[in-house]
Amino acid sequence: MDSLMILQNIELQRGDFSLHVEQLEFKKGRIYLLEGPNGAGKSTLLQLLAMLMVPTKGMLCFAGENVINASQRQRLRRQITLVDQTPYLFDASVYHNLAFGLRLRNISGDLLNLRISQTLEMVGLSGFEVHQARRLSGGEIRRVALARAMVLRPRLLLLDEPNAGLDREILPIFEKCLATLPGQGTTVVIASHDRDQSRRLGGEVLTLNEGRLLSTSQNTLHQTLLRETGTA
Amino acid sequence: MDYLINSLNAALTMILHMDQEVLSAVSTSLFTSFTAILIAAVFGIPFGAAIGMWQFPGKRLTVTLLNTLMALPTVVVGLLLFGLFSRQGPLGPLGLLFTPWAMIAGQVVLAVPIVANYTLAAVAGADQRILPTAITLGAGRLRGSWQLLLEVRFGVMAAIVAGFGRVIAEVGVAMMLGGNIRGSTRTMTTAIALETSKGEFAFGLALGIVLMSVALIINLFLNMMQQR
Repeated sequence: MDSLMILQNIELQRGDFSLHVEQLEFKKGRIYLLEGPNGAGKSTLLQLLAMLMVPTKGMLCFAGENVINASQRQRLRRQITLVDQTPYLFDASVYHNLAFGLRLRNISGDLLNLRISQTLEMVGLSGFEVHQARRLSGGEIRRVALARAMVLRPRLLLLDEPNAGLDREILPIFEKCLATLPGQGTTVVIASHDRDQSRRLGGEVLTLNEGRLLSTSQNTLHQTLLRETGTA
Repeated sequence: MDYLINSLNAALTMILHMDQEVLSAVSTSLFTSFTAILIAAVFGIPFGAAIGMWQFPGKRLTVTLLNTLMALPTVVVGLLLFGLFSRQGPLGPLGLLFTPWAMIAGQVVLAVPIVANYTLAAVAGADQRILPTAITLGAGRLRGSWQLLLEVRFGVMAAIVAGFGRVIAEVGVAMMLGGNIRGSTRTMTTAIALETSKGEFAFGLALGIVLMSVALIINLFLNMMQQR
């Protein structure tokens, strides 16, 4: 089974805005780039994928499980992490920010320290553990937010406009980090205006406009649904 | 002018020599006020946080009621609880009237709306990204709410300090429910009222200085925490 998440006939209403996704599949260990103009629904779709929003209609499957209730969402959310376009760091040290999610997953002691230092090294912030989050620069905040998500080793990593506000010299480090994730089995979905990023990362492009998915290269969804859930 | 200076000298002498009457009133005040604010925090912080975080029908009315309760006259609280704790009252058999516990009960009633309101304001004014961030990192609603409270901890501390300020400075509840019994329920404020009316201005002044010093120390502590 190489499918991680499947959406079918999804409808989501958020005020005046509505999102429709007929069918969409995210495979394990792949990178996807969500593109579209402002207000196309990229952030809404990411929030839906992060299970922070509940669709009004349709079916959402994660790791072969049809997600239908709140307790399921809360349990499965531990395998998904969303990094917002303006990430919020807790008013504590960088170490505490990274330890937050690990402690919720009962990871502590030496293993916790090791994962934190390894992840900070990956984003080019070695030795930043003791720094106070409130005293970091904009680019550092973004990298700590990415490290805080990556340290959890989620199966699905969602990034909303991760390039915005990122220093030009940091971008290669950042993309190098992202490129390693599919190899670790993580599926990455990036909402971005930078089309070249997809080419650089070798990802699949999904285009959204006015809340509708316009193009994907996916044509095997129906068969996958039949095979994995037997409900399609 | 000489009268004021002489009284101030006498007051400072009493404080420096740790006058037993002064010490007794100070310790009763601190015991009742700290206990009351501890209990008020246990109820007021979660209550205020819940109102601040959740949307529910009647929220506006609840907030208005809470605002009104902040201005509760202390003598009215004293009067109502006097009815409850008096011998003929429903809680009369407990024998709490004219004990420090009756004063604590009254002070809790005074402090809960203040603690809840300040907490509510802190939570309502908090960054809207805190809860979704905690949730997306794997926290449940309860752990996420706790994280939100940690993020607005200075607002919550201000809530506790404001509540403490209200209870340590009040007279009505202490007088009506405590009865101003020497060595038992005589607090700084009731002692100031009584002794000054008896012409013991220096004694009242000594307690007034201690009362102001307590307020100053608590605010300095809060300021220090905020700057860390």
